[in-house]
Amino acid sequence: MKDIFKSNYHWVTLFTLVILVGLVDSNFWNIESLLILIGDIVPLFIMALGLTFAIYIGGIDLSAQSMANMITVIASLYLATLGLWIVPVCFLVGVILGGLSGFITTRFLVPSFISTLAIGGVCYSLAQWLSGNRALYMNSESRDALFGWMLSSTGIVPNTIFVGGFVFAVALVIERRSRLGRQLKAVGSAELAASASGLLVPRVKVLAFALSGGLAALAGVIFSIKLSGGAPSIANGFLLPAIVAVLVGGTPLTGGVGGVVNTLVGTMIVAVIRSSMLYLEVAATHQQMVFGVVLIIAIVFTIDRTKLTIVK
Amino acid sequence: MLEFKNVSKEFGPVKALSNINFKVNKGEIVGLVGENGAGKSTLMKIIFGAYQADSGTILVDEQETRFSSPRDAMSQGIGMVFQEQSLIGNLSVMENLFLGREQEFRKFGLIDFDKMADASRAQLAKVGLDIDPRVETSSLSFSQRQLIELAKVLSLEERISGDLVILLDEPTSVLSEEEVGLLFELVHKLRERAAFIFVSHRLDEVIRLSDRIYVLKDGEVVDEVDADKAEASKIQASMVGRGINTEYYRQDERLPFDKNSPMLCMDQAGLDRKFHDISFTLHAGEVLCLVGTEGAGREAIVRTLFGMHRLKTGTITYFDDAEVKITSPHAAVAHDIGYMPRERKVEGIFASMNVAENMTSSQLGSYSQFGLLNKSDEFRLAADWIKRLSIKTPSARTDCIRLSGGNQQKVVLAKWRSTGSRIIMLDHPTRGLDVGAKEDVYAMIREMSAAGIALIVIPDTFEEAIGLGHNIAVIKDGRMVRTFDCLEQQVTPFDLVSAMT
Repeated sequence: MKDIFKSNYHWVTLFTLVILVGLVDSNFWNIESLLILIGDIVPLFIMALGLTFAIYIGGIDLSAQSMANMITVIASLYLATLGLWIVPVCFLVGVILGGLSGFITTRFLVPSFISTLAIGGVCYSLAQWLSGNRALYMNSESRDALFGWMLSSTGIVPNTIFVGGFVFAVALVIERRSRLGRQLKAVGSAELAASASGLLVPRVKVLAFALSGGLAALAGVIFSIKLSGGAPSIANGFLLPAIVAVLVGGTPLTGGVGGVVNTLVGTMIVAVIRSSMLYLEVAATHQQMVFGVVLIIAIVFTIDRTKLTIVK
Repeated sequence: MLEFKNVSKEFGPVKALSNINFKVNKGEIVGLVGENGAGKSTLMKIIFGAYQADSGTILVDEQETRFSSPRDAMSQGIGMVFQEQSLIGNLSVMENLFLGREQEFRKFGLIDFDKMADASRAQLAKVGLDIDPRVETSSLSFSQRQLIELAKVLSLEERISGDLVILLDEPTSVLSEEEVGLLFELVHKLRERAAFIFVSHRLDEVIRLSDRIYVLKDGEVVDEVDADKAEASKIQASMVGRGINTEYYRQDERLPFDKNSPMLCMDQAGLDRKFHDISFTLHAGEVLCLVGTEGAGREAIVRTLFGMHRLKTGTITYFDDAEVKITSPHAAVAHDIGYMPRERKVEGIFASMNVAENMTSSQLGSYSQFGLLNKSDEFRLAADWIKRLSIKTPSARTDCIRLSGGNQQKVVLAKWRSTGSRIIMLDHPTRGLDVGAKEDVYAMIREMSAAGIALIVIPDTFEEAIGLGHNIAVIKDGRMVRTFDCLEQQVTPFDLVSAMT
């Protein structure tokens, strides 16, 4: 019984929160506004999906937010020239830079929080340089022609939800059905055993960070389409809630368990917290503080202390 | 001054120590010997307070007491000189000596380092070490650090009222002949200040240094001899206990192997400071057991064969084919070589993966197409091997960590068997298993041998080596000091111990 409760912590948290917020805020149960709430969180969700892979193998990707920032700039600058190709190009940029973090981590044994932090710095500078440190606007003709559909709704369902659903489905197939997903699980579960089973552990890790980078880039593309522009710091404030989504969802920092379904639930939790902050009129400047506190509480409640001997 | 009466310790179903009676008199040097797994380290840990006994009494100066922690044991005069040194390298010698006791040197809330240096010199003089106490500890040699460790323990004498008992755990294992002599001289000199318990694999040294020797086997004190009457061969005999019994070892179940099909050949192989000049040929269906003390180089040899270390000198030939080069575990697996590591929970199994996932972890290529897994094939394989090895698990979807140790071990074996491994190396395959599970592992090893798989086993006990091996190689200090052809001669544990110690 205790085990069942523990492995479903994230669901319990989500339902408790929904009920609590629902009781306080009677408007919460409006389906339409709920769907809009979910549609709004899609870019964050996609970034969190990417982070899930990095955390699943026991690493972390701190470059995700800077990556998304940089991609909003690139997308705004080149949408008119590249057209639909902007999506694969941005994805590829994310994969390459994410893979570079992974390569630095595995080849030079630099912890991933450092390598991704450093690559994040590179992304930030690139974004500033490319944008001339200004806010950019997309070519609205191209945007409306190519991605206008994303901003409208099918019935009452915002179309971004379908985009998020599609990316989620692909991530789920990678995790549950693909060879890579199994290798990621093996590395996260017991890296030494993975190595002793003949797995190419460094390659698997590089791919995890590449996926994380690619999905952060995708989050950036969608975000810039929504805002019809980009700027080097426009996605600031994404990283903390994205990490909260992964960890509150139940993928521990040690990796090996959890996964993208957990992150789906975790993102919902973040969405509910966000909406309740709107209702309670928490100032935008205070929201990160709330997520910081939630993150610490989540880790305190879910961490397996029996395995910890030293915390640095 | 220190006495154990009927002390026992159990770890789950395993009896690590039973009814130990053990005594150290004032100023005495007591030797403690026994083969791997005899219970030496458990006994030591109880003596210095890291473990607590389940039953029995401990007396210090004829007063009943208990040691609730190493700190508590220290306050009652028990000090430990660790084999793996406990000094902190980037602190100075004096900071190490007085670690945790800095308040004794406090002046206006700061540490008076001059006072500390003076106090340190006094401590260092006890062990005859003339060095500047302000130097960084990591800059000193191993034997100097060992003396500092000893000085640290000796500094107890000014803080407690009673006498000291000092444990020396394998103190000579990395010392040169000359350094060993100096250490022994020092210990003799120090016996006015303290009694010593000397634990070592090197029997001749134990006889040389000790006044009295306890022999441990299977968690019991099987012999107690005065050193002046001690003979190495007699002690070795009581270390291994039993006589020869073919039935006990089940040697009749061992099948002959094909001497014309070499699978693996090491020729004068060496790896810096791990092993040197190792040569042997392993054939299809042959079981080679590597026997030796901990750290003798056995693990390094099998890990090198599996591609985890790069050989420095000599050659390895796999499958009689000079073209086969193995430089990584990945390459080893690709060439049908399997390895069951000793640390089952760390390197053997994937704790949070299920039984089927564990079994296919080394062969995902055969269970996927276009990057996608074929899970039904995976579960078919798992069901098959669960049946073949009678693995006790609720289902193939059960997380491996929920299985018992023996069944976890079977899952690891199934992983290598199902990939069609032709060479399998097993490091302590029966470690931590109960008797029934051990029997299962033995049966599987015999079955693999019959199937023509070449096997290298690092056994847990001599009995395993004799019962399973076609050949036994004794590794001592990284060298192959003796080999026994078990089909030609009846090998006894005594033979093995004599070659090892």
